[in-house]
Amino acid sequence: MAEWNAYYQNEEEDLDGEEGEESGVDYKTTGRDSLVFLVDASKEMFIKEESGELTPFDMTMQCVRSVYTSKIISSDKDLVALVFYGTEQSKNPRNSFKHVYVYHDLDTPGAGRVQDVDGLRGEDGAKVAAKTMGSGKTNLGEALWCCSNLYSDIKLRLSHKRLMIFTCRDSPHEGDSERDRQARTKAGDLKETGVVIDLMHLMKPGGFDVSIFFCDVVSPPEDDAELGLQMEPCVKLEDLKKRVRAKEMKKRSIARLNLCLGEGMNVAVGVYITALQARKPNPIKLFKDNNEPVRTKTRLYHTQTGSLLLPSDTKRAQVYASKQIVMEKDEVDVIKKFSDPGLELIGFKPMERLKLHHHLRSPVFIYPEEEMVTGSACMFTALLKRCSERNVFALCKYTRIRNSPPRFLALVPQREELDEGQAQIAAPGFHGIFLPYADDIRTLDTPQLPTASDSQVDKMKEIVQKLRFKYRCDAFENPVLQKHFRNLEALALDLMAPEEIEDHTMPKIEMMDERLGSLAQEFKDLVYPADYNPEGKTANKRKPAGGAEKKPKVDISEDELRGHVQKNTLHKLTVPILKDACKQFGVKVTGTKKQELIDALTRYFQKTV
Amino acid sequence: YAPSWGESALVLCVDVGFSMSNSGPGQEPPFEQAKKVIQKFVKRQVFAENKDELGLVLFGSDATKNNLAKDGQYQNIYVHRNLMIPDFGLLEEIQNDIHPGGQQGDWLDALVVCMDLLQNETLGKKYDRLNIAVLTDLDSPVSPDQLDIITGNLKRAGITLQFFLPFPMDTDEAGGGDVGGSGPPHGGKGLSREQQQGLDLVKQVMMSLDEEDGLDEVQTFSDAIEKLSVFKHVEKRPMAWPCTLTIGSCLTIKIVGYKAVCEERPRKSWSVVDAQTHQKEDVKRDVVYCVDDDEETEVPKDDTIQGFRYGSDIVPFSKVDQEQMKYKTDGKSFAVLGFAKQSLVVHHFMGNQILKVFAPKDDEHAGVALSALIRALDELKMVAVVRYVYARNGNPQVGAAFPCIKEKYECLMYVQLPFMEDLRQYTFPSLENNKKYTPSENQLSVVDSLIDSMMLVEENEDGEKKDLFKVNHIPNPQYQRLFQCLHHRALNPSAPLPPVEPWLITALQRPQAVAARSRAPLENMKKLFPLKEVVKKKELKTSKELFGKGDVYRTAVWKQVGLQNSCLEKGRSTEQLFRKGKVYRTVVWKQGGLQNNCLETGRSTEQLFGNREVYRTAVWKQGGLQNSCLETGRSTEQLFRKGKVYRTAVWKQGGLQNSCLETGRSTEQLFRKGKVYRTPVWKQGGLQNSCLETGRSTEQLFGNREVYRTAVWKQGGLQNSGLVTGRTGFQILNIIVTSLSHIINAILRD
Repeated sequence: MAEWNAYYQNEEEDLDGEEGEESGVDYKTTGRDSLVFLVDASKEMFIKEESGELTPFDMTMQCVRSVYTSKIISSDKDLVALVFYGTEQSKNPRNSFKHVYVYHDLDTPGAGRVQDVDGLRGEDGAKVAAKTMGSGKTNLGEALWCCSNLYSDIKLRLSHKRLMIFTCRDSPHEGDSERDRQARTKAGDLKETGVVIDLMHLMKPGGFDVSIFFCDVVSPPEDDAELGLQMEPCVKLEDLKKRVRAKEMKKRSIARLNLCLGEGMNVAVGVYITALQARKPNPIKLFKDNNEPVRTKTRLYHTQTGSLLLPSDTKRAQVYASKQIVMEKDEVDVIKKFSDPGLELIGFKPMERLKLHHHLRSPVFIYPEEEMVTGSACMFTALLKRCSERNVFALCKYTRIRNSPPRFLALVPQREELDEGQAQIAAPGFHGIFLPYADDIRTLDTPQLPTASDSQVDKMKEIVQKLRFKYRCDAFENPVLQKHFRNLEALALDLMAPEEIEDHTMPKIEMMDERLGSLAQEFKDLVYPADYNPEGKTANKRKPAGGAEKKPKVDISEDELRGHVQKNTLHKLTVPILKDACKQFGVKVTGTKKQELIDALTRYFQKTV
Repeated sequence: YAPSWGESALVLCVDVGFSMSNSGPGQEPPFEQAKKVIQKFVKRQVFAENKDELGLVLFGSDATKNNLAKDGQYQNIYVHRNLMIPDFGLLEEIQNDIHPGGQQGDWLDALVVCMDLLQNETLGKKYDRLNIAVLTDLDSPVSPDQLDIITGNLKRAGITLQFFLPFPMDTDEAGGGDVGGSGPPHGGKGLSREQQQGLDLVKQVMMSLDEEDGLDEVQTFSDAIEKLSVFKHVEKRPMAWPCTLTIGSCLTIKIVGYKAVCEERPRKSWSVVDAQTHQKEDVKRDVVYCVDDDEETEVPKDDTIQGFRYGSDIVPFSKVDQEQMKYKTDGKSFAVLGFAKQSLVVHHFMGNQILKVFAPKDDEHAGVALSALIRALDELKMVAVVRYVYARNGNPQVGAAFPCIKEKYECLMYVQLPFMEDLRQYTFPSLENNKKYTPSENQLSVVDSLIDSMMLVEENEDGEKKDLFKVNHIPNPQYQRLFQCLHHRALNPSAPLPPVEPWLITALQRPQAVAARSRAPLENMKKLFPLKEVVKKKELKTSKELFGKGDVYRTAVWKQVGLQNSCLEKGRSTEQLFRKGKVYRTVVWKQGGLQNNCLETGRSTEQLFGNREVYRTAVWKQGGLQNSCLETGRSTEQLFRKGKVYRTAVWKQGGLQNSCLETGRSTEQLFRKGKVYRTPVWKQGGLQNSCLETGRSTEQLFGNREVYRTAVWKQGGLQNSGLVTGRTGFQILNIIVTSLSHIINAILRD
């Protein structure tokens, strides 16, 4: 362990123990999750909506790609498949199904697959799709049958099976009742084997009517409300990504417990983790001769006799004041036990008693488990409603597993919120916020310093207003992780250089300076005397002097670029060069992704030929 | 008191004179109380492991031992221990060697001895604090003529003084005696003349040392015991993190950050020691790497390189390359990315700490600038979203800096926010919009009454709010319990661990007043909200679930005393058995009247192995000996795939070590080869018995319906063996006949 800890040099103390325990789900006990993308490849999918920026097909491929890459990062054991229906060509395991094209069968996604999907994006992608698969007759029943074979061909244990249909046609068989019926039957079969079928319907001119056909195909929503089908079709890629993302991962509770309100009053609840710091995965050791993974065996030996020590041959010890105190392993575990697993209500407090600094780790989310104790959901709802309306939180003692010491949680109510498209933006339930014990709060010497005057504060307010933005919790990607995975991607695909990442954690200095204008100087004049240097001695930061330190610009001639466009080798250039090129020729780009840059440049040069 | 981070020297000055043993009926004598106080105090010091030194002086003792004793002066004062870092030895001495004396000691004289001790022993060394704690009932005559000299010396030497008394300071002279928890001494008779005089002297001394707060340092025994029950975590000196806050390229403010809230973890971890010798050095951890081939060849560490998984791909990626290609940061940073509404930031706090950000102590300009930012944010209800980097090449964070304005100070409070990759945006089924779960008005009103009855924050008549349950005042129970057990084990190595201390249990429970108030509303809730636990239907699909039920056995019974031995295994194929849901694996030996069982219950093998630490322990108790047979490892499947499998059982019987091995490839493979052994070997009194089993696959064997497994028994010193093979009954008969004849021959030859 010590070895890999070296890679996580954070300032934080070594976190073992509980943090690790909560990190989630063990695949060995639960089996793998699987997800099949069943994508309509009919002509309609390649037609751009007037309002839309992308064709439905392009949008779907971008979405598939983002799921692929996010699976690689966050759950690389999950299986994913990509299947097209309504194709001209057919390709499936036994080639027994017509107009079904299995692009990727159920497997863990890797770099190659990401590249494949990249190849299907944009206008070029559409051409590739037309060439390899084409658009033909639609038989959704056959496609679903084919998918069910994909599931049954998997030898691994699957715990969660999901199938997502991406289409912009609400009546895929154009009223052919025989094929409609067959599709419904096959969908029924799939659902019976535990496959959850979702519809990701995309914009269709004249509106997408779910009730014509798809309402019988998809799985009913979890709460038997008609929420799922009321959703509007997705117009924007962001919406589609969000909708897919919300479904793509199976929710799993880390514990199912009783919330005990009092003697004999137990409400069953599940404890969920909705945010967990994603870390770089552990490196694995490979044998250098063949790059195959090696297994690590750890054993305990007796130094004197050389014999293997079994766990029962050892005890645990700590030394205090040069005296060694010895306990059995069991004793070490059992002294952590105070009470049986569960949540025990202590009482309620007004919300203002919960302080901002009451934070030790990311909170958990609590939701009722009606299947364990009937009546739980009703009582939970009543509690949630009244706590929220009365602006109070519930204080609970939380024991997660048998030998875990108690922690106190503030259960903060959160009521459900939906957006205009009926998609959930806040889930109903309680946030469980971990409260610090006396030991966790440190005594600080607080400096006594003068406070600011009203005019100084007002000036700062102007600054704050100038730089305000709408925070979204999913707006920042972790640059460390992104860089790591881009590096791996480049190595896996033998790319010349990893794709550049855009680091959103860096302040956009130029833009900020521009927005502030003279405000910064005005504020400084108000608070700092002329001879004061606010960067002082301690500020040993190297300040980039007006971009002079930036990497030297690599200029590329128009001819060279044209050559690359013709030979289709633009992707060999790095992102900064491509960006510069765009700037140089005044090419407008919609995004900053490499492919987007390449697409834009290609378009530009093809037009100017 | 204010935290002090330097070392200190402290002398405990304890009255053991005869009056300390007096107490009213049902009351604990002051001597015992004083002993508890010093025990708890020393215990805390020992576990805190700081460098504070401690001396122990007794007065009123029968013996006299101190540097000043001569010519009949400074009698009955005994320096038990000079200044030393306290250890378990001292704890043991306090527990065993300190007894009430039969004399009276002058506590002022004792104070002089303590001062002398402190001054002599701290000579040439630097201490942050010198302190004398006097524990006495003041019930002895003193000669106060040198009082001024004494206080003068204390002041000059910078020695602070604390008094611990059996009664509160404001106990009245007449002996009303209803003050405080400890009650008046001597059965309610009030203070004696000596005590009254002593108390006046104490007041005089303390006031002259510190006019304002001096009297705060006079406490009762019972207060002290209560306070010292809590193992205090050693205060860490806060680490300053100087940085600059930047807004754009031209606006900078010098800042200093401190960790304000952070999960405190014990400084010590458990080390693994040998069970017999208790020596850490006797245990060595050994890590080997092996290739994934049939032989499971070990490869040296130097022949391995580092790689990562990228989805299904494995990418070799050396440390050097990784270091070179990784994301780099060029130094600490606290750069504002922009400002956002506070309401958009709450609820998704990440990380495991809260930083408080101040301006540097001596920089008032930075103070003003930061104050402007804090106040602006506070008035606008906004936060600064910042990029935070702890140090060069530290991982960058995005976090929120909240304004925090207190009476005594202002600061920014920084907390980490999630990255996109950290979030799992689950959708949960609607609750309030679901008709099935919609609570009625009645139900809601009973919930209201519950909330009312269980409010932990109360307002008293003066409009003052009182919180009945402050989590941030509770010491972390895990560490309280740990130190309690460590202390107990250190002094009583062979005794079982004590139960959790009652005060700690109470501290973690619903306050009694709240529990009482909530009783009626809870009863109403019970009536209005029917709750019913769902009994899980038996769905016997996977073996995992079956094993979960726990009633799976295989029984083999030997009886070796009555000379009847049988070995049974009931059942059709394992699969069949499991489907039936009742499988046994019980082995019972009866040997010499002893009953031994070896049971295995539990979850599926897979599950067990999934837990990574799996044992299959069978324990035999034979004649007082404890023997164990363990199996560790990965899943059977994995093991077999590796082609090197051990199932080792070790018996230790009367000093002999016997082993039973099983090697081989997968059972299937072995059976296909037709050569399978399962040999347990017993060595008992020099005799060797063996038991073999050959055969085809278990399935095949079971298919033949007649399966035997052999048990070997000793009867009167004879060597007997019984073989069973899984061929047809006819074949078996043949074999039995042949083997019997072999045995008979052997016996005859002997």
